[in-house]
Amino acid sequence: MTLPSPEILLQLSINGALGGAMYGVAAVGLSLIFGTMRLIFLAQGAMIILAAYLVRALFQHLGIDPFLSLLIMVPVGLVAGWLIYQGLFRKAAAEEDRNISLLIAVGVMFLVQNLMTVIWGGNTAAVVTTYTASGIELLGVRASFTRSMGFLIALAGTALVVLFLRKTLVGKAVRAASEDMTAATLMGISPHKVNAIAFAIGIALAGAAGVAVATTFPFNPFAGFIFSLKALVALALGGIGNVTGALAGGIILGLIEAYTQFFISGGWTNAIAYGVFLAVLMFKPEGLFSRPYKKA
Amino acid sequence: MTAMANVSWKWAAALLTIILALVPFWPGAIDSYLLSFLFFVFIYAVMAQGWNLVAGFGGQISLGSHAFFGLGAYTTAILWSGNYLWGSLYETFPRIYYFDPVTMVLSGLVAALAAALIGLPLLSKLRGDYFALGTLGFGEIVKVIFVNGGDFTGGAFGVIAPSSTFETLMPHYWTGLGLTVGTAVAIGWLMRSRYGLALIAVRDDEMAASANGINTLKVKVAAFAGSAFIAGLAGSLYSYYIFHVGPDSVFNLDWMLLPLMMTVVGGTGTILGPVLGAFIMYAVFDVARIIVPDYHPIISGLTIILAMLFLPKGLVRKILPMSVARN
Repeated sequence: MTLPSPEILLQLSINGALGGAMYGVAAVGLSLIFGTMRLIFLAQGAMIILAAYLVRALFQHLGIDPFLSLLIMVPVGLVAGWLIYQGLFRKAAAEEDRNISLLIAVGVMFLVQNLMTVIWGGNTAAVVTTYTASGIELLGVRASFTRSMGFLIALAGTALVVLFLRKTLVGKAVRAASEDMTAATLMGISPHKVNAIAFAIGIALAGAAGVAVATTFPFNPFAGFIFSLKALVALALGGIGNVTGALAGGIILGLIEAYTQFFISGGWTNAIAYGVFLAVLMFKPEGLFSRPYKKA
Repeated sequence: MTAMANVSWKWAAALLTIILALVPFWPGAIDSYLLSFLFFVFIYAVMAQGWNLVAGFGGQISLGSHAFFGLGAYTTAILWSGNYLWGSLYETFPRIYYFDPVTMVLSGLVAALAAALIGLPLLSKLRGDYFALGTLGFGEIVKVIFVNGGDFTGGAFGVIAPSSTFETLMPHYWTGLGLTVGTAVAIGWLMRSRYGLALIAVRDDEMAASANGINTLKVKVAAFAGSAFIAGLAGSLYSYYIFHVGPDSVFNLDWMLLPLMMTVVGGTGTILGPVLGAFIMYAVFDVARIIVPDYHPIISGLTIILAMLFLPKGLVRKILPMSVARN
């Protein structure tokens, strides 16, 4: 096999990284929720697709530009996340048996998926704007404009979450609770409060990711679950509980997918992605970026 | 008193089994909706019982049972359509693969072998959520392998078994009932044995179990393989029902999620819980499917959420006295 030209390799890398950032931003949300609640929120992907449908509805019916709808989606996500926690997970979070929260997440996933099917039908939908086809040309490599915007959204979202966790008192409380909930509770941190905050931010990120997905990919109500799985892979690659690692894990996953698609075949993409996932879980469960004796 | 409740409980279960076994003899029952409804309840009850062995009694949450279900279904369909097992006997007895115990057990064994092979590294390295995620990844890998398996697995289309053998649903029904009762009795017996005690000890406190001389890895891998064997049997039974075994139908995540849900609704770590949960949840799903066909998955989703909010410990522990529920 001859090696393709550097331009093609660069193009592959850019496409992979831009697409992978979507997994990354989903993984950041999962990471936050897992951090405080030890819950794999399987419905995160469905939430992202729901957000994508809402973005499309805003665009089609009210003519709001998809990227402008970020200003609506993020606050709505914050409130929705808070409500979801208080209404559905508050009681289960106190239970020792974590199956219960996992199953509620599965129930939410079923509910949201099928609600979307009833409202918008099961067909594939997309948001097409005047700039959907435009791209940015640089050094002979082309990056799609919407994908680049999605990448920027992912970067900005992650950066905001990191700033929040590092610089604010509430953020520090969330981090403390992720490290050791019992000790955090003894220090006067309310578990319900940090759980609800993690959920609110997680769903707000889903809202932002929905904007990115709506503008770049065609989507359907059932695409969310695969998205959740991919986000889980990204999460494991980055190290569970490591927020910047989750974004990086998503980008790495995007690169792996782009390369396997090109060099092997599209049919094996998933197997290789999950193979890497298993290998990381087994041999480097703390993630690819962790330093010994220090948690992010 | 406890012993009395136990004995009368067993008689009631035995009586119910006999009544269920006689249902097909009821006039008109053979073509009725009831029979196919109960058949599906049995398949889900068997799957739920299998998941309950590794997750309920063993404490190792597996999210890969659909992979073992699919492996069992594929093994039966491939052995049959390619005639890998009986050679020239197949020409003399064209129905030899239909509900053939050897084929069915082999299907279970293939699933169990796969579980042992993947369980050994996974269970020695991973705990809790990480094990759950690992099994989920394993399930997706198996599916992709079968989609890309070329002629042997029939690719994305799958394998077709000769459906001309189908006459009535009776063998399906009785085999399903037999597997439901058989797995319940076998696991009930197993949990009273030395091995069952070891498994529960590992679930409750792995460190303490290990300190008491239990080989925890061996116990966990055995439970994982046993649960896969049961799932493989269920898959084999299902392949005799659909005849067309394809990756999207038998590796569907529903085969993992629904039994899991049924077990939790019924009561994890109990013998009756998975069976009761399968019956009730499948009834809810099916009634919803008939009455409000467009909305039924929404109702299923709602039911799970409500069940978890109000019945987190499972139905069995709520409605039956503790001494009975524990068995």
